[in-house]
Amino acid sequence: MKTLSVITGVLVGAGLIYGTLDMPKWGDPHSAASTHVSAYYLHHSLEQTATPNVVTSVLADYRGYDTLGETTVIFTAGMACILLLRRGRSK
Amino acid sequence: MFEFVVSHYNYWAYVGLMMIGFYAMMAKKNLIKKIIGMNIFQSAIILFYISTSVKKGGVTVPILEHGHGGHGAHHAVNIMQYANPLPHVLMLTAIVVMVATLGVAVAVCIMIYRRYNTLEEDEIIMSIKRG
Repeated sequence: MKTLSVITGVLVGAGLIYGTLDMPKWGDPHSAASTHVSAYYLHHSLEQTATPNVVTSVLADYRGYDTLGETTVIFTAGMACILLLRRGRSK
Repeated sequence: MFEFVVSHYNYWAYVGLMMIGFYAMMAKKNLIKKIIGMNIFQSAIILFYISTSVKKGGVTVPILEHGHGGHGAHHAVNIMQYANPLPHVLMLTAIVVMVATLGVAVAVCIMIYRRYNTLEEDEIIMSIKRG
């Protein structure tokens, strides 16, 4: 079991490292993640949402529905914990 | 070759961290150790995303200068000055999911402990087989 886990881990890790060979360089300002929509957020955040903190404006304004779904996740997890842990129910 | 290693070794560190968590999830018999492995795995993913938001050369956190006072919109924003805000936002969501999974997993562990009086996987399986 232990050897099988080590072999699986090494294989998956080798595949992931092979995948990183095409990744952009560390700190590259022209990488794909830092160009398209992120530049739009940095340019338009202040005039469209009047929030200097861009992380806040993206979280609460541009991606507000995402944050609403996030609260659903937290609510579901809290309900699951309460339903699992409450005492005194019939067995 | 050396330059390639210097510009990519951060990804390899995250892959190593991720595989440590993956190994703990697969090989450990104790359920709490499995949960710790899952947390290491998720932390590696979060570190990976945060590392994609870095830009070299004097960048700061994505909080705009001259943002207060209502006349900030007249200043042009130099996007090379600020780190990429998008991975930070996505990882805020991922941290929330991480906390939710951790809470539910620990609650399930408490239920298992109440029923079987152990958290060792093989002992639980033995106990189920005995009936």
